[in-house]
Amino acid sequence: MSYVTINQVTKGYENQVVLNDISLTLKKGEFATLLGQSGCGKSTLLRSIAGLEGVDVGRILIDGHDITNLSPRQREVGMVFQSYALFPNMTVFDNIAYGLKMKKVKNVKSKVKNMIDMVDLIGKEESFPHQLSGGQQQRVALARALVMEPKVLLLDEPLSALDAKIRKSLQKELKRIQKELDITTIFVTHDQEEAMTMSDRIFVMNKGKVVQSGSPSEIYTSPVNTFVAKFIGNYNVCNMEVFHKLVRSTELKGNEVAIRPEVLQLVSVGEDSLDIQENWGIKGFIKDVSMTGNVLRYEVETEESAFLVDYLHHRGEMFEQGARVQILVPKKECIIL
Amino acid sequence: MKSSLTFHKVIVGLLVMYLLIPLVGTFLFSIAGKWDHTILPESYTMDWYIELFQDERFYDAFRRTLFLIVMSVGLSVVIMLPTIFIITVYFSKWEGLLQAAAMLPYGIPPIVGAVGLIKVYSDGPIQIAGTPWILIGAYFITILPFMYQGIRSSLRTINAVQLVDAAELLGATKFQSFRTVVFPNIISGILVSTLLSVALLFSEFAFANLLVGGRFETIQIYLADKLNSSGHLTSAIVITYYSMILLLTGIVLKLTFRNEKNPVGSNKKRILSFFKKKYCNKNTAIEGEK
Repeated sequence: MSYVTINQVTKGYENQVVLNDISLTLKKGEFATLLGQSGCGKSTLLRSIAGLEGVDVGRILIDGHDITNLSPRQREVGMVFQSYALFPNMTVFDNIAYGLKMKKVKNVKSKVKNMIDMVDLIGKEESFPHQLSGGQQQRVALARALVMEPKVLLLDEPLSALDAKIRKSLQKELKRIQKELDITTIFVTHDQEEAMTMSDRIFVMNKGKVVQSGSPSEIYTSPVNTFVAKFIGNYNVCNMEVFHKLVRSTELKGNEVAIRPEVLQLVSVGEDSLDIQENWGIKGFIKDVSMTGNVLRYEVETEESAFLVDYLHHRGEMFEQGARVQILVPKKECIIL
Repeated sequence: MKSSLTFHKVIVGLLVMYLLIPLVGTFLFSIAGKWDHTILPESYTMDWYIELFQDERFYDAFRRTLFLIVMSVGLSVVIMLPTIFIITVYFSKWEGLLQAAAMLPYGIPPIVGAVGLIKVYSDGPIQIAGTPWILIGAYFITILPFMYQGIRSSLRTINAVQLVDAAELLGATKFQSFRTVVFPNIISGILVSTLLSVALLFSEFAFANLLVGGRFETIQIYLADKLNSSGHLTSAIVITYYSMILLLTGIVLKLTFRNEKNPVGSNKKRILSFFKKKYCNKNTAIEGEK
């Protein structure tokens, strides 16, 4: 049963289409991510769900109610902004209590206390936002949204202003709180790694359209087009004609072939370990080696195009720059686009 | 190093002297009795101040000026605050228009403006030429740039648009979000704009003289009138008037420093950096004198 339904939503500014016929559904308690580059319309979609932007065409439903034309305050959604948007004149406690007071809810004190406990801000109740670190401010913003028990929680790049370490720990915490409260969440980010670690489902967006949706591993292992393949995982995308030439075989059909860098293997030329039943071989030389801590990335130049090959950074054998190698391409890992 | 520091102190000292000497001279003249061929006055007297403070006309002029200022500045706050807020938050595409309108007074010299105003308001449906009301209107326009810039940059500093978004999502109405979230955060910005406007209007002469003149004598017109009768008395008026401005500046400064302890909007600091610089200069000068 779908809990959030977005039905054929379209929106444009002047003569530019920002959201182009977007439809998607979410189950209750799902953690969904809108992933895409800046300007792809993901934030606009989020703001439309919040009611901060109107839509030209289409409907938005939450829990069976059509909220398309409701004002933000009637929608029962919570939102966390990238720049936190805390009220600078209020303490942490008052910031979190604000929504409850506006709605004239009872037991404000105990509800706020529970929330402060949940986001681990005990002792900071009387601090003002400017006295807190970025990570703490974002916790306050999260608590302020969650205390209202919204039907849907909207997160607009909430972690992108934080440094890497705090970001990682907040990712975990966000996920824990989300599971604990079983709250349907829509998360917007441009960071594919963040999307992979956090989401139950990812919607990849490009130019105002959802180009692919699925679980993180579905999206990663079977991208539907070149854009997703390149955006999601540094895929080697190769024109089919070029590929035919390189592997001296016309077994594969289609326009392009995509291969993940970590499924490729390198062997020295002359070493005869090529299993021609399972692999193709492409000759080349190491043009560049780079290291990102645990991963070694080789850039291998072949006669037609360059390939990226990723290795885990083991102790032991490493190929030197300029070394002549053969790339082993496992046949079953080739994805036809 | 040391010599360059001395050099700086000398420069600052000279500058302060350049700024203060006319003021000190005026002050001395206002309390001088006989002062013809000596460097400092030969005798001192408080007569001029006594004469001033016993003059009903002075109090009346002061009251009138106060009335004009309170009316114009009050009207400006009441009208401009919601206007700027609504345009900034809800109709941002019209912001350019408002900005242009707010900057217009800079382009029209008071003399030209006054002649135009007299022509327009001396007949037709609204005949207010020669009354204080036309002056309130003109003053409203005069302080428009100050009010606009002050309020606008306060709103920008606190990112009012996003705060309103956040408040509305938490269940506040548009008015509630303005009252509870935006207003408390820009109040000191508004106060600063207000005080600057008051200081400006206190010394306004051109409009007052051309539009109403002697029919509604303001402090500046009174001052101009006395200029012809007694130099000593004029000096006393100037010093009194200057003390008032100093008091206002002091209040503005105090507000700025309070903001620093509770840095809600840093924009006010920028507006007032001029005052602060002046203040710092004075401190340096005092050190230099030791």
